[in-house]
Amino acid sequence: MSALSQAAALVAPRAVERENSASRRLRVVEEPSRRRRPKLVYGVVALAGALTIGAAQMALSILTTQSSYELSTLSQEARELTWQKQILYDDVAGLSSPQYLAANASALGMVIDESPSYLRLSDGALLGEGQAALGASSIDAIGRASVPNALIKDTPLVTAPKATIQGAPVKADVVVTDGGVVNTPPPLTDGLPTPSTH
Amino acid sequence: MTTRSTRSPRRRTVIALAVVLAVLAGFIVRLVDIQVVNADTHIADSMKVALGASRTLYGTRGEIVDESGQLLAGSILLYDGVLDPKNVGPVTRESDEGERVVVPWAKVAGEIGAVTGQTSEEIQKIVADALADDPDSQFAYLKRGLTTEQYRDLVAIGAPFLTFDAHPARTYPDGAVAGNLVGFMGSDAVPLAGIEKSQNDCLLATNGTLSFQKGKDGVTIPGTEQQQPAVNGGTLELTINRDLQWYLQQLIGEQTQDMGAKSGTISVVEVKTGKVRAMADYPTVDPNDFAASPDDDLYSRIFKNTFEPGSTFKPITAATLIDAAGQTPTSTVIASGWETFDNGARVTDSFSHEPYLYTLAGVLIDSSNAGISRFSERVDPQVRYDYLKKFGISTGSAIGFVGEQQGLVYEPSEWDNQTVYNTTFGQALTTTVPELLGAYGTIANDGVKVPLRLVESCTHADGTDVQPDVPDSIRVLSESTAVQVQQMLENVALQAGYADDVAVPGYRVAVKSGTGEQVDPETGRYRQGVYFTTMIGFAPADDPQYVVAVTFDSPTKVTSSAANAPAFQKAMTQVLKTYRVMPATTEPTLLPKFG
Repeated sequence: MSALSQAAALVAPRAVERENSASRRLRVVEEPSRRRRPKLVYGVVALAGALTIGAAQMALSILTTQSSYELSTLSQEARELTWQKQILYDDVAGLSSPQYLAANASALGMVIDESPSYLRLSDGALLGEGQAALGASSIDAIGRASVPNALIKDTPLVTAPKATIQGAPVKADVVVTDGGVVNTPPPLTDGLPTPSTH
Repeated sequence: MTTRSTRSPRRRTVIALAVVLAVLAGFIVRLVDIQVVNADTHIADSMKVALGASRTLYGTRGEIVDESGQLLAGSILLYDGVLDPKNVGPVTRESDEGERVVVPWAKVAGEIGAVTGQTSEEIQKIVADALADDPDSQFAYLKRGLTTEQYRDLVAIGAPFLTFDAHPARTYPDGAVAGNLVGFMGSDAVPLAGIEKSQNDCLLATNGTLSFQKGKDGVTIPGTEQQQPAVNGGTLELTINRDLQWYLQQLIGEQTQDMGAKSGTISVVEVKTGKVRAMADYPTVDPNDFAASPDDDLYSRIFKNTFEPGSTFKPITAATLIDAAGQTPTSTVIASGWETFDNGARVTDSFSHEPYLYTLAGVLIDSSNAGISRFSERVDPQVRYDYLKKFGISTGSAIGFVGEQQGLVYEPSEWDNQTVYNTTFGQALTTTVPELLGAYGTIANDGVKVPLRLVESCTHADGTDVQPDVPDSIRVLSESTAVQVQQMLENVALQAGYADDVAVPGYRVAVKSGTGEQVDPETGRYRQGVYFTTMIGFAPADDPQYVVAVTFDSPTKVTSSAANAPAFQKAMTQVLKTYRVMPATTEPTLLPKFG
């Protein structure tokens, strides 16, 4: 803006001079009447510049101070969140362990079946013995748990809230009907049960 | 000409100038000294004394993961609560209405105790004891190893005389799963056992520092921070499969109890790579709470126990006979249940029988001591010794576990008349489970011995992946010898007395059992009726992929190696399931027991 007005001020006098030269040829050159005005502009510009610099510096300093407080608040927040993360991590520690999963599965009556069988897709051949599961598990993951985990020794099982992986074993209901198969689930009447989630 | 009057002012000027210059020079020297020569010391001093503050940046100790990346050991932060007994007293709080309430010390102690699980009296006693020792005491541990939740709850109490030190600690999410291998750390972050100790160089973190200057209100002055970042430890990947490891630990726990044994182990090795997939010990340690275990259970018995193996060495003798003396599985020998040899040595079988015309396969099937002793006369004892060494017996394993023991085989020149024969069926020498795994791995791998390994790799924080140095594989037996021994071992699984107990439906399995006599360290003689039983084998017999070894120390329900059959059968089944090994589509070749 100030640069533009300066340019305008420089161009205008020349145009006037050119018009005058056409009518009156010889004349004592008048002393330029507006010599002092650019000096004032420069002064104003310099002063404004100094003020701007001062203001900018102050603004920057204020911003820096402010952001350092902001930084401090945010790092405090980050610390809080780290603590929260640690607390949550401690809460779930051990829940992913295989003995917890196995104890939960056993409490539901799931068994680890022995000999595996495979169906070969290319020719439909059955590899392996192909025996039916008889309800007996090769290990007893809940009744005789022998792999301790101090992190979850007091944590109740999800599927049997009264039991833990080590103590208070829960017996899975074993229903044997005449000629029936052990541990047959009850028939479904109104579709598959859906788990309630939050 | 200079007169006294003209000389005097000039000299004065010169002197004055000299003095000024000298003072100036002194200042310059001091300036250079402060700004250049000792600049670092002064900066450090100013940071320490005046405005500066610094904080240790803790690096995280590296994680230990299994072959599929599941976490076996990780790091958390724990806190030590520290009381300042001299300044313990009532706490002033602001109530909801903005009034100042003074809470007495006894009540504050109760609130602290509710978090830490101590009683108010216990906490007051800690303070009283500290003051009794030293009336100016400013340091007493409230409780060490507090969790983050407890720490935050204690901070919320707002007691100015209670401070906290955070320190990194170790957590083992799977508890005792692989605890025997992973090992554990002491409370002062010193590794005490297992992989934690042997691979400490990989796992160790380097702490860094953050130094900065603080304003009056405790806010860090921008631009004054200087950070030397901490370097986290590397991630150590083991060859272990944690799900298989858990199953086998559960299994050996049940089986050890069922058989009334003192302890039991199950180990699984991948034949072609020598990678250990599982090593289960019972009883064993939960590294989260190792103080709860007796000292004897803290370290893996698989590596620290040596034992006389017994009949599991017969296949090694048989392999030597085939490889070095031109024998075959159908070569024959005449042996009765009680044999007396030319040098006066006597060898008996576990059951009495008339002289049989045994094949080499038959000797292994019936596990005849007399038969293998008769066969062994066809090869020089020195050759047998050399083969034992080549199989890796008495040289330990390449794993180099903390506290790993080695077996003991004397030089043949030191063997007495009885030892010459006893060594053919695994007595009068000792070995370890890893050595036995190495030897059977060699047979299963068509004669090439691949060194065992437990560590897959170490990935450093900067992403570089370091593979452990593993010795070269060596050929011990010719391929045809190895295949013939494999066949004989499959026939043991098919024809031995425990054949039905070790059969895995749908698969072809090879196995050999051993009932080793134990020396009583007090009397120096063999114990009566108490054995170290072993069962080791591999599957599938036509293309061996996994070696499984089960051992019991002194089983009492069944004292012989038949005790190991159920554990072996279940372990092998689980291994074949875990690794999706396809059932057999071919039939085994039956070898005759008698010629």
